[in-house]
Amino acid sequence: MPREAEPSLNEKQFLLQAIQENLRLDGREPDQYRPLGLTFGDEHGVADVTLGKTRVLARASAEVTVPYADRPLDGVFTIATELSPMASPAFEVNRPTETEVLLSRLLEKTVRRSGALDTESLCLVAGQKCWSVRVDVHVLSHDGNLIDASCFAVVAALRHFRKPDTSIEGGVLTVYTPAEREPVPLGWLHSPFCVTWSYFGDEGETALLDATRAEEQVRVGSCTISLNRHGEICQIAKLGGTPVDALMLLQCTSIALAKVKEISSLLDRKLDEDTKQRNKGGRAAELTAENDR
Amino acid sequence: MAATEQPIVLPGDAIDPSLIPTHKKQPLRLGPGLRHIPPSYIVPTVAGQLVTDQKKNSMWIEYNSTRYIPSANDLVIGQVQRSATDLYYVNLSPYTSNAMLPHLAFEGATKKTRPQLAAGALVYARVTLANRHMDAELECVSATTGKAEGLGPLVGGMAFDVSLGLARRLLMARSREAGGVEVLELLGAEGLAFETAVGRNGRVWVSSDSAKTIVLVGRALRETDEGDLGVEKQRKLVKKLIRGMR
Repeated sequence: MPREAEPSLNEKQFLLQAIQENLRLDGREPDQYRPLGLTFGDEHGVADVTLGKTRVLARASAEVTVPYADRPLDGVFTIATELSPMASPAFEVNRPTETEVLLSRLLEKTVRRSGALDTESLCLVAGQKCWSVRVDVHVLSHDGNLIDASCFAVVAALRHFRKPDTSIEGGVLTVYTPAEREPVPLGWLHSPFCVTWSYFGDEGETALLDATRAEEQVRVGSCTISLNRHGEICQIAKLGGTPVDALMLLQCTSIALAKVKEISSLLDRKLDEDTKQRNKGGRAAELTAENDR
Repeated sequence: MAATEQPIVLPGDAIDPSLIPTHKKQPLRLGPGLRHIPPSYIVPTVAGQLVTDQKKNSMWIEYNSTRYIPSANDLVIGQVQRSATDLYYVNLSPYTSNAMLPHLAFEGATKKTRPQLAAGALVYARVTLANRHMDAELECVSATTGKAEGLGPLVGGMAFDVSLGLARRLLMARSREAGGVEVLELLGAEGLAFETAVGRNGRVWVSSDSAKTIVLVGRALRETDEGDLGVEKQRKLVKKLIRGMR
């Protein structure tokens, strides 16, 4: 397996020196994100997120299955992450690296365990039939901060997704095609987002937001905070690395909240734009009996 | 040269015989992107601009890519991977096989005085041998004069990745007229003091006393490269960056 390409000594030294002097290679502020872009696919539930040169594609899908025996009233919700060699030659298919395991764990903790998706609303017939919602995350290009980009992509894909409408009459389940009945959005409770801080310096005294890959390779530690725009923290992950001052962590959390509010309103705006674009002419155009002829 | 003399060719295109240079004495030399199929076909293997030089009786294709293939006499910036008994293994681009740099291929190097390079150090070197199925060989000293001529270990500074096309244009003798890059000269004219070394493998090393200057030069290079900026836009970019710095 090819090892990840190490930066040269000159690059490592210079990056650290520049960060100490409060400089970043792309001229950003310490708490500034790279330009965050989001486009939706033609289908519902496809979100393509770009964060600088990092690019992540998430796709949500749903099918009817049997619920787990111990949770007969809940639907099934899974997030599948895959880091392919397309993102970086150091990744191999079917052999998860540490990055990949951490990424899927964090997404799981942030989106699934925080109860962002109402899994009870996925239940169709108790103990017999339920929806299984699955999100596939594909990293297309890796230039650092995969976690924030992937989390944003997952949440965007799920909020954009529409599952087929269903009805139960006399114990018979009917799943309608989009032509018969308009598909319905998922039961969504809140939108958590990840914000990752990277720490530099001997005692982790410098904190940077949205590290690029080069910065990630020289950092001494990182901390991922997941929260929603109401300031409810879903999880904090500080996996090893240099210990960080508690006061600084508090400061990081409050900045993270401001960032999450920005990200959240960006997502709302994009979703609105998308709805408008899909619904050209509005309800009147849809209901009109006149045809183009 | 007029644009009509440099047509765009695609892989496998037939080359108009009138474009092939003719010279009484010198044999025809084919550069990157062209392949001779005996007895008498010349076929492009990449898409790009066909350039011919009547004086040198040579032709090649100008194209931009990110994969570096070593060829003899290229100036490159390599990263030392490890040291063996009498040579360094040097990486020219990530995830490719290493090139070899003998310990004694430095100016005035003997077994006792050779430079000690740690893993990860950068060297500015010339490719001496590059065959298709062999690892490339490098040197940091001119074989004819025994002088370094600017080659050797690069200390301090920062290495930036650029596309191979930009690296080649920066290395041209008349980079402004022929290559359309003036960004480094413009930055120098604004009073920034820095030195650079350009490697044909798509790396530019920039060194200066101030970290701010290095960051600025790096950003200027990257934006020129990514935006494919012309000379006029490079001027605007440099002005904008300098204004942002003060």
